[in-house]
Amino acid sequence: MKTILNAICSKGLPSRDIRNANKVNILALLWAFSLMLTSYLSTQAWFTEIPIAIAFLLHTGIGITMVFSYRHFLIELDEMERKIQLDALALSVGVTIISFSSYSILDKNGILPELDSAYLIALMALTYMVGIISGRLRYR
Amino acid sequence: MKNRLKVLRAEQDWTQADLAEKLDVSRQTVNAIEKGKYDPSLPLAFKLARLFDTPIEAIFDDEVRIDSDKSMLSLTS
Repeated sequence: MKTILNAICSKGLPSRDIRNANKVNILALLWAFSLMLTSYLSTQAWFTEIPIAIAFLLHTGIGITMVFSYRHFLIELDEMERKIQLDALALSVGVTIISFSSYSILDKNGILPELDSAYLIALMALTYMVGIISGRLRYR
Repeated sequence: MKNRLKVLRAEQDWTQADLAEKLDVSRQTVNAIEKGKYDPSLPLAFKLARLFDTPIEAIFDDEVRIDSDKSMLSLTS
């Protein structure tokens, strides 16, 4: 149990890597929050063209900053942890593509309801987390 | 990949954390290399070789090369 907790908390990583990871985490939270806020505001009557444009620019800007921040994090990362991150990304993308293609067959034939893009993002995030934890446990 | 990193580190009386600091990697990485769970990149292997002032071949045991040598011998005999 302790090993799993250490893997989740990325215990033992240099402080530079933890600092970079925290920057990415804060940006990811901001990005998700801006998406939630925009979704809520879009239900309001006053939310017309100009506020939509501002929300679009803000959300996209945070997203792009997050991608560059993650790239910087990967570049500075300890090489074994970088391998764990890349393996987790590969697992996440692979599982999402396979799930999406399989689901689309059932969706097109009306067996399952229409696919919501939010499910794909959630699936990517979950498989990425599983990949990170299993990678850290594998190399301990 | 098998290696003599633990022995070499012990000869220098360094902890895993000491070696990690000298190599600019995490202690987990040093531990994983010593246990043979993680194979270091070529730049890190060169860094190790320079640090211990010994050839890479003296640190890491390339089992694939030994196997291929054996298969070459069996082909020639």
